[in-house]
Amino acid sequence: MLRLRQFTTLARLTALEAVRRPLCLLLMSACLVLTALTPLVLLHQFGEEGKMARDSGLACHFVFGLFIAGYTACSSLTQEVGNGTASTVLSKPVGRGLYFLAKFAGLAAVVVAFSLCCTLATLMAERVSEHFALTGRVAGNITDWQTGNLLLAAPFAAMLAAGIVNYFNGRPFLSTAFGYLLLILVLVFAFSGFFDRAGYFEPYSLRVQWRIIPAGVLIALALITLSAVALSISTRFSAVPTITICVCILVLGLMSDYLFGRHAAQSWVASVLYALLPNWQHFWVADALNSGGVIPWSYVARVGGYAAAYSGAVLCLGAISFRHREVV
Amino acid sequence: MNGQSNEPLASSGNESVSESPVIEVAGLVKVFRDFWRRPKVRAVNGISLDVCSGEIFGLLGPNGSGKSTTIKSLLGLLSPTAGSVRVFGLSPRDVMTKRDIGYLPEESYLYRHLTARETLDFYGQLFGLDRYTRRKRIEELLEMVGLTESADRPVGEFSKGMARRVGLAQALINDPRLIVLDEPTSGLDPIGCRQVKDLMLTLCRGGKTILLTSHLLADVEDVCNRIAILYRGNIIAQGRVGDLLRESEKVRVTFSSLSTGQMEELLAAIRDKTGDTPDVDHPAMDLERFFLDVIARAHGERRDTDTGPRLPDYLKAH
Repeated sequence: MLRLRQFTTLARLTALEAVRRPLCLLLMSACLVLTALTPLVLLHQFGEEGKMARDSGLACHFVFGLFIAGYTACSSLTQEVGNGTASTVLSKPVGRGLYFLAKFAGLAAVVVAFSLCCTLATLMAERVSEHFALTGRVAGNITDWQTGNLLLAAPFAAMLAAGIVNYFNGRPFLSTAFGYLLLILVLVFAFSGFFDRAGYFEPYSLRVQWRIIPAGVLIALALITLSAVALSISTRFSAVPTITICVCILVLGLMSDYLFGRHAAQSWVASVLYALLPNWQHFWVADALNSGGVIPWSYVARVGGYAAAYSGAVLCLGAISFRHREVV
Repeated sequence: MNGQSNEPLASSGNESVSESPVIEVAGLVKVFRDFWRRPKVRAVNGISLDVCSGEIFGLLGPNGSGKSTTIKSLLGLLSPTAGSVRVFGLSPRDVMTKRDIGYLPEESYLYRHLTARETLDFYGQLFGLDRYTRRKRIEELLEMVGLTESADRPVGEFSKGMARRVGLAQALINDPRLIVLDEPTSGLDPIGCRQVKDLMLTLCRGGKTILLTSHLLADVEDVCNRIAILYRGNIIAQGRVGDLLRESEKVRVTFSSLSTGQMEELLAAIRDKTGDTPDVDHPAMDLERFFLDVIARAHGERRDTDTGPRLPDYLKAH
């Protein structure tokens, strides 16, 4: 029971510390604004508006998520060990393995929150862009301003509300803004689903492309896996080498099929490297969505199993490494 | 640490010092290695010491002498290269050992975004204290360190001295039997230093064992039962403070007042008897006492009405 309480306490604090980094809110806001702007700037795409908005939303989710996952994971443990906070915490009855895993849980929670925001934004962006597809060719630029503007305004509204709360109550701006942004996006998504482009009621979620959700879940799994890799590497290296190694793993993992997969049958070196590197292609299904397909949840479950196994193995190595690390 | 006692600090002799060692260090060696595992620095070079229950033990030494490395080895944060370290008879790597240890690091390494109250609550939760106990102890500790007014400000906005006080409070949240203080008066003003020293003495009288490091020699002299002096990773002197400092061949006689004539007669008599001419001077108040006296007068307070640090009840109950 004590261990569980320590775990939740440390994980909560790790998540809080992560969202209180200015870069975290900046990246998340930039990602949402780009996703929201995509359908507004991609006019006259000859029927490809939905695809463009979906691809852009998922790409923003993946790229900005990589930055957030990598940055928070690299800095979380490295900074705490470097500035001595870890030595204070580890002088309490907290096991090193528990401390390490709680760090991962906190970072994973941030990634999940970020992914939820991005997935909701992509769902709304596609809805706005499909409007162009349906009406643009026939009736000119008829815009679903309601959804588009609400989505675009969400980051600014969250920051404004957090600023007001900070002014009157002194609550930390960054974490409050992050929390409000999540809340506002959920409310905007829930609210806008009841209306059509002219502002009349329509059956809920009539125009929502729910098939995007499995794609968002898969990207979230990729980001969690990257967090595990980055956190484990940071048990032995400082921030810059950790980021460098993570970038290498990311790039090699993205090209894993091409570099190692096709040679795996002939070369044992290629087969070992193919097995060791995370294959990020499993997590990217935008192409399948574009060809009109629906991602079955059984596939998501299988990739989830892969992510869990890979993250689990990497975290075990990280925990062993951190157990023997000298906390100066 | 509210209110200050300007009485001379009590002698550090604690009647309740027992022979049972709380800390046992035998032949401790610590070599730091570089990335390629090559020896880089020999920070501690075969030191041995015991700290008994109920005493205040001071580790003195210049910068880089191995004080903090020794302390971190005692807390299981560093692994000894050779030798053994036992705390309460167990390895310091044993997590359970740390239930009874309070640690104040050299710098107050705190989460900058948490308030003082949240910081104490966080550390209380790590010890598994229930909500009621945490709340009670936090209020008592905040009052003790004089931060009740600033309890809801992020510690990142605190001055070094204030952060130090939060650090001290977190070290006591679990009612520890062993308190390890790394440079406890660093960054504190003279009043804060005095309060911390009073607090250490009060805690020691309550049966706590305290291990402290400092390079402020007056602090150590004021409170410690025993000291060890480290230099380049070796203990070069160890023993009771009184024994180490006593100049047994010299004698000092102090009078409350003496006229010039009386003094001349006495000096003549001493010269006749011993053949030696004694030094005569006026004893001087040390600067710390003078400073505290001036501050107390400026506050319009009477020294003899001050009560010293208000120790929380849970820390007294031993």
